[in-house]
Amino acid sequence: MLLRRVYTRSLNSRAFHDLRTYQDDPRWPGWQVIIGIETHAQIKSRRKLFSDTFTPEGDELPNTKVSPFDAAFPGTLPKVNPKCVDLAIRTALALRSKISMRSSFDRKHYFYSDQPLGYQITQQYSPIATHGVLELEMPRAAPIKVRIKQIQLEQDTAKSTFNPRLQKSYIDLNRAGAGLMEIVSEPDLRSPEEAGAYVRTLQSVLRAVGSSDGNMEQGSLRCDVNVSVNRKGEVPGTRCEIKNLNSVKYMMAAIVHEIKRQTQFLDTNPGATVPQETRGFNENTFETYRLRSKEDAPDYRYMPDPNLGVLVLSQARIDDIKTNLPSLPWDIRSRLVSKYPSLNAKEKSLNVLINVNSGKEIGFDGENSGGAVEYFEELCQTPVTGGSRPTVRDPVVLLNWLTHELLGQLASRKETFSDNPLSASQFGELVDLVQDGTITGTSGKHLLRHMLANPSSRRPREIATELQLVALTSTSSSQSTTSSDSSVISELEDLCRSAVSNLPCEVAALRAGNKNVLNKIVGYVMKKSRGRADATATRELVEKMVMQDGCKLTCDPVQMCIIEYVTGLGHLRDPCVPIGAVNEQRKKGLPPPLPSQTRLANTVMLAGAGTHIRNFH
Amino acid sequence: MLKDFISPFDATVVKILQDSGADIIGKTNCDEFGMGSLNIHSTHGPVKNPVGLYQVNGLVEERSAGGSSGGSAAAVAAGICKAALGTDTGGSVRLPASYCGIVGLKPSYGLVSRWGVISYADSLDCVGVLATDVQTTKQVFDQIALYDELDPTSAPNEIRAKAFKHIEERTVHKEGAVGILKGLRVGIPQEYFPSEMSPSIIQHVRRVISKLKEHGAEVISVSLPSTSYALSSYYVLATAEASSNLARYDGVQYGSYVKPPPGTELTKTSKIYAHTRTTNFGKEVQKRILLGTYALSAEYAQRIRQLICDDFNGVFAIPNYFSDLIERQQELNGQCVDVLIHPSAIRTAPLLSEAKTTGPNLDTYLQDVLTVPASLSGLPALSIPVNIDNDEHTKLQNEIRWPIGISIVGQWGTDQLVLSVGAAMEALQH
Repeated sequence: MLLRRVYTRSLNSRAFHDLRTYQDDPRWPGWQVIIGIETHAQIKSRRKLFSDTFTPEGDELPNTKVSPFDAAFPGTLPKVNPKCVDLAIRTALALRSKISMRSSFDRKHYFYSDQPLGYQITQQYSPIATHGVLELEMPRAAPIKVRIKQIQLEQDTAKSTFNPRLQKSYIDLNRAGAGLMEIVSEPDLRSPEEAGAYVRTLQSVLRAVGSSDGNMEQGSLRCDVNVSVNRKGEVPGTRCEIKNLNSVKYMMAAIVHEIKRQTQFLDTNPGATVPQETRGFNENTFETYRLRSKEDAPDYRYMPDPNLGVLVLSQARIDDIKTNLPSLPWDIRSRLVSKYPSLNAKEKSLNVLINVNSGKEIGFDGENSGGAVEYFEELCQTPVTGGSRPTVRDPVVLLNWLTHELLGQLASRKETFSDNPLSASQFGELVDLVQDGTITGTSGKHLLRHMLANPSSRRPREIATELQLVALTSTSSSQSTTSSDSSVISELEDLCRSAVSNLPCEVAALRAGNKNVLNKIVGYVMKKSRGRADATATRELVEKMVMQDGCKLTCDPVQMCIIEYVTGLGHLRDPCVPIGAVNEQRKKGLPPPLPSQTRLANTVMLAGAGTHIRNFH
Repeated sequence: MLKDFISPFDATVVKILQDSGADIIGKTNCDEFGMGSLNIHSTHGPVKNPVGLYQVNGLVEERSAGGSSGGSAAAVAAGICKAALGTDTGGSVRLPASYCGIVGLKPSYGLVSRWGVISYADSLDCVGVLATDVQTTKQVFDQIALYDELDPTSAPNEIRAKAFKHIEERTVHKEGAVGILKGLRVGIPQEYFPSEMSPSIIQHVRRVISKLKEHGAEVISVSLPSTSYALSSYYVLATAEASSNLARYDGVQYGSYVKPPPGTELTKTSKIYAHTRTTNFGKEVQKRILLGTYALSAEYAQRIRQLICDDFNGVFAIPNYFSDLIERQQELNGQCVDVLIHPSAIRTAPLLSEAKTTGPNLDTYLQDVLTVPASLSGLPALSIPVNIDNDEHTKLQNEIRWPIGISIVGQWGTDQLVLSVGAAMEALQH
């Protein structure tokens, strides 16, 4: 600290060299729009930037996450939280920035009630990283390289709320002193859409490396946008800054309004320049409004912070962070697709997986909580459990089970992936059990629900047996033990037999050749077996029983048919009348068409019951 | 501003002392926020120098105890306590020690924790010790000079160890209190005897120096050419930091809130704060805040500070291990002294009536001229009283003998060497 170095202001008035080629926009023909964005991202660290107080998560009572330093008590001193620095380095690496081995902190002075110290500690002169790049993928266009001017660490302010009725301001110091990264882009953006893409891409980068939640709605990401317009080929116009935009939608709307306002001004005042201003955005009218002019701009009296001195980083520390840097979303995707080409067709599920993997799933201070992708890859790499020879698991099946079933059930339990109690080996075995037919898909879902509700380290096979979920199948599966095999088969036979006897009408229809009815009978068996019945086996068995006269009907099928028909209870009125005709009648408020006597007779004859047909008219 | 403020936590130094069994018997007067050299800018009134009140011959003179930690010095001088703590930003421990005839140590910057110290100028503020003798000073210092993770400027133990090694080399095989003086290289900076200095002080200091020579010390005249700029540099830097550090006293969080008069524009934060700050800050504090606010860029002052550091590093035998520009020091041509010795102040304690009538003028800032260079460079500096019992002049005039202080300054981290030399000099005079 003693020998502090001399600070020089960076030159703001450099010559403008446009890296982008001009493209005409039909919305404002002949005008070039230049946009630069300053983003404030809340650092996802457990503790604040300069004190050991916990960073608030938003649901705390006001002024409960405050230490004497956060409240600027006399006699307190700041202490840099190394975790915040590490996360800023992660961000810098992800944005391909030049990391400063020596950076320092400055005080930005202004009096406001949300600023207990009377100044904000920031990195004005010597930020932690400079010269970064963020590449934006644009639809139907070449990717855009946006240069990142600098990344700086700074303190968040307190939150003040004004009660107009009481004419009072309330201060909540919970947020005061929480760590922020200010990420400043060069003026490389040329349209509201590019600005939107920039913020969205930045969000996904921050989430991927776990340095910020990047959530604009919750205020963990806030944007200030600089907009200027100039006629094609002329020098850039004067920029206006629009402050505190808290959604991408509002930001784009603010830019659109600002372009219109500035171009209109230049049209009506030829030769004039747009007055340099700081502006706000009205979320109701979608217009920007003047906050202050250049003349009112406060003098922040930047001064090096005498307590914090120089922040010195070692190459070893940076290298360490680099080795453990979580992959960026697009890198993960291309890696997964090249490793498992079959996933190429599963774009949606893959997106779900990658989104779950990034952001919220990385813990505070960048702690790796075992991402979804890592889990997925572990599933893919392990061969099928219990098989006599190693068989490779199908990544598409695994992805489906992971994104649809596991994440779906976690979501319905209001849990996230990080709450998942199933180890990769447990979940993998569960999917294997379904895949090899030991349990049915329905049972698999049931088993998963049970295992989520009752976390244990037990094997899914064990639990499935205990819950009597082992599939009822006629074909002996490779895993089934011989002793249970016969009983399982006989149970399925019993179920099928009772189905056939309880659904005489359907059986009759099936015999009459209506194959669709088979589904209903199989569904009945499935229901009775609580999902354990193997659909294919059941189908085969029922077909065999019905077609091979292998069963005796216990009631008069015609009577059943007629009762169902008259009461309208059954799904099928007349197996021979197409369901479309039934519905047609129903729409008109009429009873369904009566089955013809002949047809009915035929049906019954086919059913082989041999009873005579009553005329019920 | 903070009259009714009670801190919810104890300063690290207070905690350490209490844990080691010390009795904290009270708080002492000082200049508001440590700003002043005479301890006259206090809501509790000025501190009277006890030396003038305890004279045997019945004379009573109300003189300043020096500032800003005047209350601490007066309490020790009056025998109320064995030792007291003070803060030293530009001489606020050494000057009152010199005026009150006691020992005052400003340790190396970063050796004693500042957690709990109300910041005046963070890069200069040091917790110092005031005591009746060097031994007591050392006793207190040894307890409080600990690394504290709550203070970001606290020197890590490995840096302390580097400087301590040098002290060991210097003090090994030295017998007795004055044994340390044998072979000790003592630098006398020629710039520390300005024309404003009272002749009797020069006389006493000379006498001490010749005694050092008698006991084997090698006395070398050295030059620290940037010294003349130190005072101006100090006032720019200290006031700039002060205007920043005192921004928090706005009546909203700290300081009693003064309601703005009717008709004030309430939408402007500054308008609301101004009333509280105008009413609650003392005149001297307001003056320094304003000075600091106008010091838009402290760049030049920083450069001068660097030159002053270079001066010191050029004469000391070892480098400043606390500096982050250690490579730079290698280029400087070392004159290899172990300590520097110079008068602590240009005069003895001024009359309070004098200080009050003339009011604050540039002369009052001049009091710090000999103490600020060590503050700017973060070096340890110890002021010990010179024996004035045999002062012929005052004896003849039947005047009160006002104490004179002599300072020992060492390279960063050599506080123990400075204390040992101080103890030797103390022993020499009795």
